[in-house]
Amino acid sequence: MLPALLVLIAVVLYPIGRSIVLSFQRVEAKGGRFEYTWTWLDNYRALFRDEAVSIALRNSLYFTALDVLATVGIALTVALLLNHRFGRAGIFRIVLLIPWALAPVANGVLWKWILHGNYGVLNAVLKELGLIDTYVNWLGEPSLALRMMLLADVWKSVPFIALLLLAGLQNIPGYLYRAAKLDGATLLQQFRFVTLPALRTPIAIAVVLQSIWSFKVFDLIFVLTKGGPGDGTLMLNFLAYRVTFNFLDFGYGAAIANLIFGIMFVLAIIFIRLIKPGAPRSRTA
Amino acid sequence: MSPSRRRWRQLLGDTVVITGLGVFVIWTLAPIVWMILSSFLFQRALITKPPNLSADSFTLKNFQKVFEASDALINAFTNSAIIAGGTTLIALALGSAAAYALARLQVPAGNRIALMVLATQMFPGIVIIIPLFIVLTRFKLIDTHVGMMAVHLSFVLPIVIWILKGFFEAIPRDLERAAAVDGATTFQTFRLVVLPISLPPLFASAVFAFIESWNDFLFAVIMTRMNTKTVPILISEFQGNYQTAFGQMLAAATLASLPVIIIAIIFRRYILLGFSEGAIKG
Repeated sequence: MLPALLVLIAVVLYPIGRSIVLSFQRVEAKGGRFEYTWTWLDNYRALFRDEAVSIALRNSLYFTALDVLATVGIALTVALLLNHRFGRAGIFRIVLLIPWALAPVANGVLWKWILHGNYGVLNAVLKELGLIDTYVNWLGEPSLALRMMLLADVWKSVPFIALLLLAGLQNIPGYLYRAAKLDGATLLQQFRFVTLPALRTPIAIAVVLQSIWSFKVFDLIFVLTKGGPGDGTLMLNFLAYRVTFNFLDFGYGAAIANLIFGIMFVLAIIFIRLIKPGAPRSRTA
Repeated sequence: MSPSRRRWRQLLGDTVVITGLGVFVIWTLAPIVWMILSSFLFQRALITKPPNLSADSFTLKNFQKVFEASDALINAFTNSAIIAGGTTLIALALGSAAAYALARLQVPAGNRIALMVLATQMFPGIVIIIPLFIVLTRFKLIDTHVGMMAVHLSFVLPIVIWILKGFFEAIPRDLERAAAVDGATTFQTFRLVVLPISLPPLFASAVFAFIESWNDFLFAVIMTRMNTKTVPILISEFQGNYQTAFGQMLAAATLASLPVIIIAIIFRRYILLGFSEGAIKG
Protein backbone atom coordinates (compact mmCIF):
# COMPACT_ATOMS: atom_id res chain seq x y z
CA MET A 1 0.00 0.00 0.00
CA LEU A 2 2.53 2.54 1.18
CA PRO A 3 5.06 2.28 -1.69
CA ALA A 4 2.32 2.67 -4.28
CA LEU A 5 0.93 5.65 -2.41
CA LEU A 6 4.35 7.30 -2.23
CA VAL A 7 4.86 6.83 -5.97
CA LEU A 8 1.42 8.27 -6.71
CA ILE A 9 2.18 11.24 -4.48
CA ALA A 10 5.49 11.81 -6.27
CA VAL A 11 4.26 11.45 -9.84
CA VAL A 12 0.65 12.65 -9.54
CA LEU A 13 -0.20 14.66 -6.44
CA TYR A 14 3.01 16.68 -6.26
CA PRO A 15 2.89 17.64 -9.96
CA ILE A 16 -0.72 18.74 -9.62
CA GLY A 17 0.12 20.96 -6.66
CA ARG A 18 3.22 22.29 -8.37
CA SER A 19 1.29 23.00 -11.54
CA ILE A 20 -1.10 25.19 -9.55
CA VAL A 21 1.84 27.06 -8.05
CA LEU A 22 3.49 27.42 -11.47
CA SER A 23 0.36 28.96 -12.92
CA PHE A 24 0.85 31.94 -10.56
CA GLN A 25 4.45 32.43 -11.65
CA ARG A 26 6.48 33.49 -14.62
CA VAL A 27 9.11 30.88 -15.37
CA GLU A 28 12.22 31.65 -17.35
CA ALA A 29 14.70 29.05 -18.50
CA LYS A 30 18.20 30.43 -18.29
CA GLY A 31 21.09 28.17 -19.21
CA GLY A 32 19.40 24.97 -18.12
CA ARG A 33 18.11 26.52 -14.87
CA PHE A 34 14.63 27.81 -14.19
CA GLU A 35 13.96 31.17 -12.56
CA TYR A 36 10.61 31.94 -11.01
CA THR A 37 8.89 35.27 -10.36
CA TRP A 38 5.49 35.51 -8.70
CA THR A 39 3.04 37.18 -11.03
CA TRP A 40 -0.11 35.96 -9.24
CA LEU A 41 -3.15 36.24 -11.48
CA ASP A 42 -1.35 37.54 -14.57
CA ASN A 43 -1.42 34.17 -16.35
CA TYR A 44 -5.13 33.74 -15.71
CA ARG A 45 -5.86 37.29 -16.84
CA ALA A 46 -3.95 36.55 -20.03
CA LEU A 47 -6.09 33.44 -20.48
CA PHE A 48 -9.20 35.55 -20.94
CA ARG A 49 -7.57 37.91 -23.41
CA ASP A 50 -5.85 35.23 -25.47
CA GLU A 51 -7.71 34.56 -28.69
CA ALA A 52 -5.96 31.21 -29.15
CA VAL A 53 -7.49 30.06 -25.86
CA SER A 54 -11.01 30.92 -26.92
CA ILE A 55 -10.51 29.24 -30.31
CA ALA A 56 -9.07 26.14 -28.63
CA LEU A 57 -11.85 26.05 -26.06
CA ARG A 58 -14.50 26.34 -28.74
CA ASN A 59 -12.87 23.61 -30.85
CA SER A 60 -12.45 21.36 -27.81
CA LEU A 61 -16.09 21.69 -26.79
CA TYR A 62 -17.37 21.16 -30.34
CA PHE A 63 -15.08 18.19 -30.86
CA THR A 64 -15.95 16.61 -27.52
CA ALA A 65 -19.71 17.02 -27.94
CA LEU A 66 -19.82 15.47 -31.42
CA ASP A 67 -17.22 12.83 -30.58
CA VAL A 68 -19.20 11.60 -27.59
CA LEU A 69 -22.48 11.61 -29.48
CA ALA A 70 -21.12 9.71 -32.48
CA THR A 71 -18.94 7.30 -30.52
CA VAL A 72 -21.59 6.28 -27.99
CA GLY A 73 -24.27 6.04 -30.69
CA ILE A 74 -22.19 3.83 -32.98
CA ALA A 75 -20.82 1.82 -30.07
CA LEU A 76 -24.33 1.10 -28.80
CA THR A 77 -25.32 -0.17 -32.25
CA VAL A 78 -22.19 -2.33 -32.42
CA ALA A 79 -22.80 -3.71 -28.93
CA LEU A 80 -26.39 -4.62 -29.81
CA LEU A 81 -25.19 -6.38 -32.96
CA LEU A 82 -22.51 -8.31 -31.07
CA ASN A 83 -25.03 -9.32 -28.43
CA HIS A 84 -27.26 -10.86 -31.11
CA ARG A 85 -26.84 -14.61 -31.57
CA PHE A 86 -25.09 -14.06 -34.93
CA GLY A 87 -22.64 -11.60 -33.40
CA ARG A 88 -21.50 -13.76 -30.51
CA ALA A 89 -18.61 -15.38 -32.42
CA GLY A 90 -15.24 -14.52 -30.84
CA ILE A 91 -13.89 -13.20 -34.13
CA PHE A 92 -16.00 -10.03 -33.81
CA ARG A 93 -14.42 -9.22 -30.46
CA ILE A 94 -10.97 -9.66 -31.99
CA VAL A 95 -11.99 -7.22 -34.73
CA LEU A 96 -12.92 -4.72 -32.01
CA LEU A 97 -9.62 -5.08 -30.19
CA ILE A 98 -7.52 -4.12 -33.21
CA PRO A 99 -8.32 -0.38 -33.43
CA TRP A 100 -8.33 -0.21 -29.64
CA ALA A 101 -4.76 -1.56 -29.38
CA LEU A 102 -3.45 0.48 -32.33
CA ALA A 103 -1.07 3.19 -31.16
CA PRO A 104 -2.79 6.60 -31.42
CA VAL A 105 0.18 7.89 -33.41
CA ALA A 106 -0.18 5.05 -35.91
CA ASN A 107 -3.86 5.93 -36.06
CA GLY A 108 -2.86 9.47 -36.99
CA VAL A 109 -0.44 8.33 -39.69
CA LEU A 110 -3.04 5.92 -41.03
CA TRP A 111 -5.73 8.59 -41.40
CA LYS A 112 -3.30 11.14 -42.75
CA TRP A 113 -2.64 8.68 -45.56
CA ILE A 114 -6.31 7.82 -46.09
CA LEU A 115 -7.22 11.52 -46.19
CA HIS A 116 -4.28 12.59 -48.36
CA GLY A 117 -5.45 15.26 -50.80
CA ASN A 118 -3.71 13.80 -53.85
CA TYR A 119 -3.22 10.10 -53.22
CA GLY A 120 -5.66 9.36 -50.40
CA VAL A 121 -7.80 6.27 -50.79
CA LEU A 122 -10.89 8.10 -49.53
CA ASN A 123 -10.75 10.39 -52.55
CA ALA A 124 -10.12 7.44 -54.87
CA VAL A 125 -13.08 5.47 -53.51
CA LEU A 126 -15.49 8.43 -53.52
CA LYS A 127 -14.45 9.35 -57.06
CA GLU A 128 -14.90 5.76 -58.31
CA LEU A 129 -18.34 5.70 -56.73
CA GLY A 130 -19.13 8.98 -58.44
CA LEU A 131 -19.80 10.79 -55.17
CA ILE A 132 -17.22 13.53 -55.82
CA ASP A 133 -15.99 15.02 -59.10
CA THR A 134 -12.61 16.30 -57.98
CA TYR A 135 -10.31 15.25 -55.20
CA VAL A 136 -10.98 16.98 -51.88
CA ASN A 137 -8.16 18.31 -49.67
CA TRP A 138 -9.71 16.90 -46.50
CA LEU A 139 -7.19 18.40 -44.09
CA GLY A 140 -6.68 21.65 -45.98
CA GLU A 141 -9.71 23.60 -44.79
CA PRO A 142 -10.25 24.39 -41.08
CA SER A 143 -13.77 23.14 -40.39
CA LEU A 144 -13.44 20.17 -42.74
CA ALA A 145 -10.15 19.19 -41.09
CA LEU A 146 -11.81 19.27 -37.67
CA ARG A 147 -14.58 16.99 -38.88
CA MET A 148 -12.09 14.57 -40.43
CA MET A 149 -10.23 14.45 -37.13
CA LEU A 150 -13.54 13.59 -35.54
CA LEU A 151 -13.93 10.69 -37.98
CA ALA A 152 -10.48 9.34 -37.10
CA ASP A 153 -11.11 9.64 -33.37
CA VAL A 154 -14.56 8.06 -33.49
CA TRP A 155 -13.18 5.13 -35.45
CA LYS A 156 -10.55 4.57 -32.77
CA SER A 157 -12.85 5.16 -29.78
CA VAL A 158 -15.84 3.02 -30.74
CA PRO A 159 -14.28 -0.36 -29.80
CA PHE A 160 -13.61 0.42 -26.14
CA ILE A 161 -17.04 1.93 -25.59
CA ALA A 162 -18.70 -0.93 -27.49
CA LEU A 163 -16.96 -3.50 -25.26
CA LEU A 164 -18.05 -1.55 -22.20
CA LEU A 165 -21.69 -1.44 -23.34
CA LEU A 166 -21.56 -5.08 -24.46
CA ALA A 167 -20.57 -6.13 -20.94
CA GLY A 168 -23.57 -4.12 -19.72
CA LEU A 169 -25.89 -5.83 -22.21
CA GLN A 170 -24.70 -9.25 -21.11
CA ASN A 171 -25.65 -8.44 -17.54
CA ILE A 172 -29.33 -8.02 -18.46
CA PRO A 173 -31.12 -11.17 -17.31
CA GLY A 174 -32.84 -13.03 -20.15
CA TYR A 175 -36.08 -13.44 -18.24
CA LEU A 176 -36.77 -9.72 -18.59
CA TYR A 177 -36.96 -10.16 -22.36
CA ARG A 178 -39.06 -13.32 -22.06
CA ALA A 179 -41.47 -11.50 -19.76
CA ALA A 180 -41.64 -8.56 -22.18
CA LYS A 181 -42.37 -10.95 -25.07
CA LEU A 182 -45.13 -12.62 -23.09
CA ASP A 183 -46.65 -9.20 -22.61
CA GLY A 184 -46.55 -8.81 -26.37
CA ALA A 185 -43.83 -6.16 -26.54
CA THR A 186 -42.39 -5.51 -30.00
CA LEU A 187 -38.62 -5.47 -30.55
CA LEU A 188 -38.63 -1.70 -30.36
CA GLN A 189 -40.60 -1.73 -27.12
CA GLN A 190 -38.23 -4.32 -25.67
CA PHE A 191 -35.32 -2.02 -26.50
CA ARG A 192 -37.08 1.04 -25.09
CA PHE A 193 -38.38 -0.51 -21.88
CA VAL A 194 -35.89 -3.29 -21.08
CA THR A 195 -32.55 -2.62 -22.75
CA LEU A 196 -32.24 1.14 -22.38
CA PRO A 197 -33.18 1.35 -18.68
CA ALA A 198 -30.80 -1.52 -17.86
CA LEU A 199 -28.01 0.22 -19.78
CA ARG A 200 -28.49 3.58 -18.10
CA THR A 201 -25.41 3.36 -15.91
CA PRO A 202 -23.06 1.86 -18.55
CA ILE A 203 -24.17 4.50 -21.04
CA ALA A 204 -23.66 7.29 -18.53
CA ILE A 205 -20.20 5.95 -17.72
CA ALA A 206 -19.41 5.70 -21.43
CA VAL A 207 -20.48 9.31 -22.00
CA VAL A 208 -18.33 10.65 -19.17
CA LEU A 209 -15.28 8.53 -20.01
CA GLN A 210 -15.46 9.42 -23.68
CA SER A 211 -15.85 13.14 -22.86
CA ILE A 212 -12.68 12.95 -20.77
CA TRP A 213 -10.77 11.22 -23.55
CA SER A 214 -12.07 13.47 -26.33
CA PHE A 215 -11.11 16.48 -24.29
CA LYS A 216 -7.56 15.15 -23.92
CA VAL A 217 -6.99 14.40 -27.61
CA PHE A 218 -3.40 15.22 -28.51
CA ASP A 219 -1.65 12.59 -30.64
CA LEU A 220 -4.10 12.93 -33.53
CA ILE A 221 -3.69 16.71 -33.68
CA PHE A 222 0.08 16.39 -33.49
CA VAL A 223 0.26 13.97 -36.41
CA LEU A 224 -2.62 15.16 -38.59
CA THR A 225 -2.57 18.95 -38.49
CA LYS A 226 -0.42 20.40 -35.67
CA GLY A 227 -3.49 22.49 -34.88
CA GLY A 228 -3.84 23.99 -38.35
CA PRO A 229 -4.89 25.03 -40.86
CA GLY A 230 -5.19 28.49 -39.29
CA ASP A 231 -5.84 27.12 -35.76
CA GLY A 232 -8.86 25.28 -37.18
CA THR A 233 -8.05 22.13 -35.23
CA LEU A 234 -6.35 23.77 -32.28
CA MET A 235 -7.60 22.27 -29.03
CA LEU A 236 -6.78 23.06 -25.40
CA ASN A 237 -4.45 20.15 -24.72
CA PHE A 238 -2.38 20.89 -27.81
CA LEU A 239 -2.34 24.62 -27.02
CA ALA A 240 -1.01 23.93 -23.50
CA TYR A 241 1.72 21.78 -25.02
CA ARG A 242 2.59 24.41 -27.64
CA VAL A 243 2.74 27.25 -25.14
CA THR A 244 4.84 25.26 -22.67
CA PHE A 245 7.26 23.32 -24.81
CA ASN A 246 7.47 25.36 -28.01
CA PHE A 247 7.14 28.89 -26.59
CA LEU A 248 8.74 27.75 -23.27
CA ASP A 249 6.20 29.74 -21.26
CA PHE A 250 5.84 27.24 -18.39
CA GLY A 251 3.73 29.44 -16.15
CA TYR A 252 1.15 30.29 -18.81
CA GLY A 253 1.18 26.70 -20.06
CA ALA A 254 0.40 25.54 -16.53
CA ALA A 255 -2.51 28.00 -16.37
CA ILE A 256 -4.01 26.54 -19.57
CA ALA A 257 -3.38 23.03 -18.25
CA ASN A 258 -5.24 23.97 -15.07
CA LEU A 259 -8.19 25.19 -17.11
CA ILE A 260 -8.33 21.71 -18.74
CA PHE A 261 -7.87 20.19 -15.32
CA GLY A 262 -10.83 22.13 -13.93
CA ILE A 263 -13.15 21.02 -16.73
CA MET A 264 -12.03 17.40 -16.49
CA PHE A 265 -12.26 17.45 -12.72
CA VAL A 266 -15.96 18.18 -13.00
CA LEU A 267 -16.34 15.31 -15.46
CA ALA A 268 -14.37 13.00 -13.15
CA ILE A 269 -16.61 13.83 -10.20
CA ILE A 270 -19.67 13.01 -12.29
CA PHE A 271 -18.03 9.72 -13.27
CA ILE A 272 -17.25 8.80 -9.68
CA ARG A 273 -20.80 9.61 -8.61
CA LEU A 274 -22.04 7.29 -11.33
CA ILE A 275 -20.11 4.20 -10.34
CA LYS A 276 -20.11 4.76 -6.55
CA PRO A 277 -17.06 2.63 -5.90
CA GLY A 278 -16.38 1.13 -2.50
CA ALA A 279 -20.02 0.49 -1.71
CA PRO A 280 -20.44 -3.15 -0.65
CA ARG A 281 -21.73 -5.27 -3.52
CA SER A 282 -24.46 -6.88 -1.46
CA ARG A 283 -25.99 -3.51 -0.68
CA THR A 284 -25.95 -2.27 -4.26
CA ALA A 285 -27.27 -5.54 -5.71
CA MET B 1 -49.68 -12.78 -36.72
CA SER B 2 -49.74 -15.59 -39.26
CA PRO B 3 -46.81 -18.07 -39.17
CA SER B 4 -45.60 -17.10 -42.65
CA ARG B 5 -45.57 -13.42 -41.75
CA ARG B 6 -43.62 -14.18 -38.64
CA ARG B 7 -41.09 -16.08 -40.73
CA TRP B 8 -40.72 -13.10 -43.05
CA ARG B 9 -40.14 -10.78 -40.13
CA GLN B 10 -37.57 -13.16 -38.72
CA LEU B 11 -35.81 -13.26 -42.07
CA LEU B 12 -35.87 -9.47 -42.33
CA GLY B 13 -34.44 -9.13 -38.83
CA ASP B 14 -31.66 -11.61 -39.59
CA THR B 15 -30.80 -9.75 -42.79
CA VAL B 16 -30.55 -6.45 -40.92
CA VAL B 17 -28.27 -7.99 -38.28
CA ILE B 18 -26.02 -9.68 -40.81
CA THR B 19 -25.77 -6.52 -42.92
CA GLY B 20 -25.01 -4.54 -39.77
CA LEU B 21 -22.28 -6.97 -38.74
CA GLY B 22 -20.82 -6.80 -42.25
CA VAL B 23 -20.75 -3.00 -42.22
CA PHE B 24 -19.19 -3.06 -38.76
CA VAL B 25 -16.40 -5.44 -39.79
CA ILE B 26 -15.62 -3.47 -42.96
CA TRP B 27 -15.71 -0.07 -41.21
CA THR B 28 -13.40 -1.35 -38.47
CA LEU B 29 -10.92 -3.31 -40.56
CA ALA B 30 -10.76 -1.36 -43.83
CA PRO B 31 -8.42 1.39 -42.55
CA ILE B 32 -6.05 -1.18 -41.00
CA VAL B 33 -6.10 -3.37 -44.09
CA TRP B 34 -5.36 -0.34 -46.24
CA MET B 35 -2.43 0.63 -43.99
CA ILE B 36 -0.90 -2.86 -44.23
CA LEU B 37 -1.62 -3.17 -47.95
CA SER B 38 -0.05 0.24 -48.67
CA SER B 39 3.10 -0.71 -46.81
CA PHE B 40 3.65 -3.50 -49.36
CA LEU B 41 3.13 -1.31 -52.44
CA PHE B 42 5.68 0.43 -54.64
CA GLN B 43 5.61 4.22 -54.54
CA ARG B 44 4.53 4.36 -58.19
CA ALA B 45 1.52 2.15 -57.41
CA LEU B 46 0.55 4.36 -54.47
CA ILE B 47 0.60 7.60 -56.45
CA THR B 48 -1.45 6.24 -59.34
CA LYS B 49 -5.03 7.46 -59.35
CA PRO B 50 -6.73 5.27 -58.31
CA PRO B 51 -3.98 3.19 -56.61
CA ASN B 52 -2.68 0.36 -58.79
CA LEU B 53 -3.30 -2.93 -57.00
CA SER B 54 -2.07 -5.33 -59.69
CA ALA B 55 0.21 -8.18 -58.63
CA ASP B 56 3.46 -6.54 -59.77
CA SER B 57 2.86 -3.51 -57.53
CA PHE B 58 3.65 -5.45 -54.40
CA THR B 59 7.08 -5.37 -52.79
CA LEU B 60 8.97 -5.80 -49.52
CA LYS B 61 11.23 -2.84 -50.34
CA ASN B 62 9.50 -0.46 -47.92
CA PHE B 63 10.23 -2.65 -44.93
CA GLN B 64 13.76 -3.24 -46.12
CA LYS B 65 14.34 0.51 -46.44
CA VAL B 66 12.84 1.23 -43.04
CA PHE B 67 15.30 -1.19 -41.46
CA GLU B 68 18.22 0.04 -43.56
CA ALA B 69 17.51 3.71 -42.92
CA SER B 70 19.36 3.50 -39.59
CA ASP B 71 19.47 1.67 -36.31
CA ALA B 72 16.71 4.04 -35.22
CA LEU B 73 13.96 1.46 -35.56
CA ILE B 74 15.77 -1.24 -33.57
CA ASN B 75 16.71 1.34 -30.93
CA ALA B 76 13.16 2.59 -30.67
CA PHE B 77 11.84 -0.94 -30.25
CA THR B 78 14.43 -1.62 -27.56
CA ASN B 79 13.57 1.62 -25.75
CA SER B 80 9.84 0.98 -25.93
CA ALA B 81 10.27 -2.59 -24.70
CA ILE B 82 12.44 -1.49 -21.76
CA ILE B 83 10.14 1.37 -20.78
CA ALA B 84 6.83 -0.45 -21.23
CA GLY B 85 8.18 -3.67 -19.67
CA GLY B 86 9.77 -1.89 -16.72
CA THR B 87 6.73 0.29 -16.10
CA THR B 88 4.47 -2.78 -16.18
CA LEU B 89 6.60 -4.74 -13.71
CA ILE B 90 6.90 -1.87 -11.25
CA ALA B 91 3.19 -1.07 -11.55
CA LEU B 92 2.25 -4.70 -10.89
CA ALA B 93 4.57 -5.05 -7.92
CA LEU B 94 3.38 -1.83 -6.28
CA GLY B 95 -0.18 -1.97 -7.52
CA SER B 96 -1.12 -5.51 -6.52
CA ALA B 97 -0.26 -4.90 -2.86
CA ALA B 98 -2.05 -1.55 -2.87
CA ALA B 99 -5.14 -2.96 -4.57
CA TYR B 100 -5.28 -5.82 -2.08
CA ALA B 101 -5.01 -3.44 0.83
CA LEU B 102 -7.78 -1.26 -0.58
CA ALA B 103 -10.02 -4.24 -1.26
CA ARG B 104 -9.52 -6.09 2.03
CA LEU B 105 -7.81 -4.41 4.90
CA GLN B 106 -9.45 -1.81 7.03
CA VAL B 107 -7.42 1.03 5.60
CA PRO B 108 -8.49 4.26 7.24
CA ALA B 109 -10.11 6.43 4.58
CA GLY B 110 -9.71 3.48 2.20
CA ASN B 111 -12.60 4.47 0.00
CA ARG B 112 -11.37 8.00 -0.28
CA ILE B 113 -7.94 6.77 -1.34
CA ALA B 114 -9.57 4.45 -3.87
CA LEU B 115 -11.48 7.38 -5.32
CA MET B 116 -8.33 9.43 -5.54
CA VAL B 117 -6.59 6.61 -7.34
CA LEU B 118 -9.39 6.54 -9.85
CA ALA B 119 -9.38 10.30 -10.19
CA THR B 120 -5.66 10.33 -10.98
CA GLN B 121 -6.46 8.37 -14.10
CA MET B 122 -8.58 11.24 -15.31
CA PHE B 123 -6.09 14.03 -14.86
CA PRO B 124 -4.92 15.48 -18.13
CA GLY B 125 -1.34 14.36 -18.71
CA ILE B 126 -0.31 17.91 -19.57
CA VAL B 127 -1.00 19.07 -15.98
CA ILE B 128 1.31 16.40 -14.63
CA ILE B 129 4.07 16.59 -17.22
CA ILE B 130 4.84 20.32 -16.98
CA PRO B 131 6.03 20.16 -13.34
CA LEU B 132 7.57 16.71 -13.78
CA PHE B 133 9.57 18.02 -16.70
CA ILE B 134 11.01 20.75 -14.48
CA VAL B 135 11.82 18.32 -11.66
CA LEU B 136 13.30 15.68 -13.93
CA THR B 137 15.40 18.31 -15.67
CA ARG B 138 16.93 19.19 -12.31
CA PHE B 139 17.70 15.52 -11.57
CA LYS B 140 19.06 15.08 -15.12
CA LEU B 141 16.46 12.38 -15.81
CA ILE B 142 15.15 13.80 -19.09
CA ASP B 143 15.80 11.34 -21.91
CA THR B 144 16.47 8.41 -19.57
CA HIS B 145 14.59 5.13 -19.20
CA VAL B 146 14.14 5.74 -15.47
CA GLY B 147 12.58 9.13 -16.10
CA MET B 148 10.17 7.71 -18.67
CA MET B 149 9.13 4.87 -16.37
CA ALA B 150 8.49 7.39 -13.59
CA VAL B 151 6.17 9.52 -15.73
CA HIS B 152 4.42 6.49 -17.18
CA LEU B 153 3.70 5.20 -13.69
CA SER B 154 1.52 8.28 -13.21
CA PHE B 155 -1.13 6.82 -15.51
CA VAL B 156 -0.29 3.09 -15.50
CA LEU B 157 -0.25 2.54 -11.74
CA PRO B 158 -3.81 3.86 -11.21
CA ILE B 159 -5.15 1.59 -13.98
CA VAL B 160 -3.46 -1.45 -12.45
CA ILE B 161 -4.70 -0.67 -8.94
CA TRP B 162 -8.21 -0.08 -10.22
CA ILE B 163 -8.50 -3.31 -12.21
CA LEU B 164 -6.95 -5.44 -9.46
CA LYS B 165 -9.06 -3.90 -6.72
CA GLY B 166 -12.18 -5.04 -8.56
CA PHE B 167 -10.85 -8.58 -8.80
CA PHE B 168 -9.69 -8.82 -5.21
CA GLU B 169 -13.09 -7.69 -4.00
CA ALA B 170 -14.68 -10.55 -5.92
CA ILE B 171 -12.55 -13.24 -4.22
CA PRO B 172 -14.58 -14.97 -1.50
CA ARG B 173 -13.34 -14.02 1.94
CA ASP B 174 -13.75 -17.59 3.22
CA LEU B 175 -10.60 -18.54 1.37
CA GLU B 176 -8.59 -16.05 3.36
CA ARG B 177 -10.35 -16.90 6.60
CA ALA B 178 -9.30 -20.52 6.09
CA ALA B 179 -5.73 -19.37 5.65
CA ALA B 180 -6.00 -17.23 8.77
CA VAL B 181 -7.28 -20.22 10.74
CA ASP B 182 -4.15 -22.10 9.63
CA GLY B 183 -2.12 -19.29 11.16
CA ALA B 184 -1.05 -17.41 8.01
CA THR B 185 -0.13 -13.74 8.32
CA THR B 186 -1.81 -11.20 6.06
CA PHE B 187 1.21 -11.09 3.81
CA GLN B 188 1.41 -14.91 3.66
CA THR B 189 -2.28 -15.08 2.80
CA PHE B 190 -1.73 -12.57 0.04
CA ARG B 191 1.33 -14.34 -1.35
CA LEU B 192 0.26 -17.97 -0.98
CA VAL B 193 -3.51 -17.85 -1.37
CA VAL B 194 -4.60 -14.71 -3.14
CA LEU B 195 -1.79 -14.22 -5.66
CA PRO B 196 -1.92 -17.73 -7.22
CA ILE B 197 -5.63 -17.48 -7.97
CA SER B 198 -5.17 -13.91 -9.19
CA LEU B 199 -2.91 -14.74 -12.08
CA PRO B 200 -5.56 -13.99 -14.75
CA PRO B 201 -6.35 -10.53 -13.34
CA LEU B 202 -2.65 -9.80 -12.88
CA PHE B 203 -2.17 -10.74 -16.49
CA ALA B 204 -5.10 -8.61 -17.56
CA SER B 205 -3.76 -5.53 -15.81
CA ALA B 206 -0.26 -6.26 -17.14
CA VAL B 207 -1.56 -6.30 -20.70
CA PHE B 208 -3.43 -3.02 -20.15
CA ALA B 209 -0.37 -1.46 -18.52
CA PHE B 210 1.98 -2.56 -21.28
CA ILE B 211 -0.25 -1.32 -24.09
CA GLU B 212 -0.87 2.05 -22.41
CA SER B 213 2.83 2.58 -21.81
CA TRP B 214 3.89 1.39 -25.27
CA ASN B 215 1.36 3.66 -27.01
CA ASP B 216 2.05 6.83 -25.00
CA PHE B 217 2.99 9.79 -27.13
CA LEU B 218 2.38 12.98 -25.13
CA PHE B 219 4.87 12.15 -22.36
CA ALA B 220 7.37 10.62 -24.77
CA VAL B 221 7.41 13.63 -27.08
CA ILE B 222 8.24 15.86 -24.12
CA MET B 223 10.60 13.57 -22.22
CA THR B 224 12.71 11.89 -24.89
CA ARG B 225 15.52 13.27 -27.02
CA MET B 226 18.12 11.11 -28.74
CA ASN B 227 18.68 8.25 -26.28
CA THR B 228 15.23 7.05 -25.36
CA LYS B 229 13.12 7.69 -28.44
CA THR B 230 10.17 5.32 -28.31
CA VAL B 231 8.38 3.71 -31.22
CA PRO B 232 5.48 6.22 -31.40
CA ILE B 233 8.00 9.10 -31.54
CA LEU B 234 9.85 7.38 -34.34
CA ILE B 235 6.68 6.94 -36.42
CA SER B 236 5.73 10.56 -35.95
CA GLU B 237 9.20 11.59 -37.14
CA PHE B 238 8.98 9.20 -40.04
CA GLN B 239 5.77 10.80 -41.22
CA GLY B 240 7.37 14.24 -40.82
CA ASN B 241 10.68 13.54 -42.56
CA TYR B 242 9.47 11.14 -45.22
CA GLN B 243 6.26 12.93 -46.15
CA THR B 244 6.57 11.69 -49.71
CA ALA B 245 7.83 8.14 -49.09
CA PHE B 246 4.35 6.89 -48.28
CA GLY B 247 5.18 3.19 -48.40
CA GLN B 248 7.99 3.55 -45.87
CA MET B 249 5.90 5.76 -43.60
CA LEU B 250 3.18 3.10 -43.50
CA ALA B 251 5.66 0.25 -43.16
CA ALA B 252 6.98 1.99 -40.04
CA ALA B 253 3.47 2.50 -38.69
CA THR B 254 2.59 -1.14 -39.39
CA LEU B 255 5.73 -2.41 -37.65
CA ALA B 256 5.08 -0.15 -34.67
CA SER B 257 1.48 -1.29 -34.25
CA LEU B 258 2.05 -5.00 -34.71
CA PRO B 259 3.49 -5.85 -31.28
CA VAL B 260 0.57 -4.38 -29.34
CA ILE B 261 -2.06 -5.68 -31.74
CA ILE B 262 -0.57 -9.18 -31.50
CA ILE B 263 -0.40 -8.91 -27.72
CA ALA B 264 -4.02 -7.75 -27.65
CA ILE B 265 -5.18 -10.66 -29.82
CA ILE B 266 -3.19 -13.33 -27.95
CA PHE B 267 -4.31 -12.09 -24.55
CA ARG B 268 -7.82 -11.08 -25.61
CA ARG B 269 -9.36 -13.30 -22.93
CA TYR B 270 -7.61 -11.29 -20.23
CA ILE B 271 -8.39 -7.96 -21.81
CA LEU B 272 -12.09 -8.77 -22.07
CA LEU B 273 -11.90 -9.95 -18.46
CA GLY B 274 -10.41 -6.59 -17.55
CA PHE B 275 -13.28 -4.85 -19.28
CA SER B 276 -16.00 -6.80 -17.54
CA GLU B 277 -14.40 -6.81 -14.09
CA GLY B 278 -12.34 -3.71 -13.57
CA ALA B 279 -13.65 -1.14 -15.94
CA ILE B 280 -17.33 -1.41 -15.25
CA LYS B 281 -18.13 -2.82 -11.88
CA GLY B 282 -15.42 -0.63 -10.40
